[in-house]
Amino acid sequence: MLALFLYFLLLSLLSVGGVNTVMPEMQRIVVETEAWMSGAEFTQLFALSQAAPGPNVLITSLVGWKVAGLAGAIIALAAFCGPAGALAYWVGGVWERFRDAPWRMRIQRALVPVTVGLVFAGGYVLATPEGIDWRNALIATASATVLYTTRLNPLWILSGGAIAGYFVYV
Amino acid sequence: MGSRFPKGWITGVSDSVHPPRSLAELFLGFLSIGARAFGGVLPWAHRTLVEERRWVTPADFAEMIALCQFLPGPNVANLSIVLGRRWFGLAGAIVGFLGLMALPFIWVLGLAILYADWATHPAVRAVVGGVGIAAAGLFIGTGMKLARPIARKPVAVLIIAGCFIAAGLLRVPLVIVLPAAAALALVASHTGAL
Repeated sequence: MLALFLYFLLLSLLSVGGVNTVMPEMQRIVVETEAWMSGAEFTQLFALSQAAPGPNVLITSLVGWKVAGLAGAIIALAAFCGPAGALAYWVGGVWERFRDAPWRMRIQRALVPVTVGLVFAGGYVLATPEGIDWRNALIATASATVLYTTRLNPLWILSGGAIAGYFVYV
Repeated sequence: MGSRFPKGWITGVSDSVHPPRSLAELFLGFLSIGARAFGGVLPWAHRTLVEERRWVTPADFAEMIALCQFLPGPNVANLSIVLGRRWFGLAGAIVGFLGLMALPFIWVLGLAILYADWATHPAVRAVVGGVGIAAAGLFIGTGMKLARPIARKPVAVLIIAGCFIAAGLLRVPLVIVLPAAAALALVASHTGAL
């Protein structure tokens, strides 16, 4: 449980742009480094966190719950939100002062491609829990394409994934 | 404690904005965001804070979200902390955050417990597996949307590809990838290439 707490404290401060940025790292720690669960189990927890209403940061409490029950769920969520939340609290106070500063704009511009690359990496590791599989590639590509080209509510895309899953995996 | 009417509010619009008067009201407002946030929290946060309760103006909301995306941590959780602080200081930050998280936390664990009982059922596994892969596809689609404005800049494409290969294919730890990529991107941004 201490390892869980320390890992999520670290992930908290690395999660520039949100929890999506650290998904590849969270998967690497949980599945490869600590072997708390298989890649398929991690993708299933991710599915539950996306299907339930609420912030996608709740993947952290599902990982915690799997590792150490209810206490683990609370500790993982608190560890992930704590350091970043403290920073947000502090920055929120001084924000007015540097809202239009050129250096802030430069940092924001620089972080966009980094975040995008890490979001792609997160999508890739979640879609390939047991290596490359044509069924997974098909569903993930269809889902990405529909999201990119239409204004359909993502909830419908997830429902489509559920139906496709029923037909291709059973 | 932050000023009740901070700078940045559009003059003349501020009288149509009604910030929460009590911690209970703040809690219930964020609770109603978390309660309904199917398929992403951000649209529901906008609906609740700007349209229904009128706690902030649209411009103020956009500015606060930009700040929260720029900071590490979950964006809307950061928003609950920053806005809670503005109105009620530390107590507001904590109450706003707890309000946002309370119901989704219970629901996601409830769903996981329910799922644990059914996980051996092949059809349930298949359906949840399909949702997971579709959600991974949504990540990729979101990345494509975010990449659209910068896709014509060769340096941006190089940084995107580098981060994807390092973190996704080679599984290099993020404590190495993030500082290295951020340093390169900052240099590129400083020289005007981004």
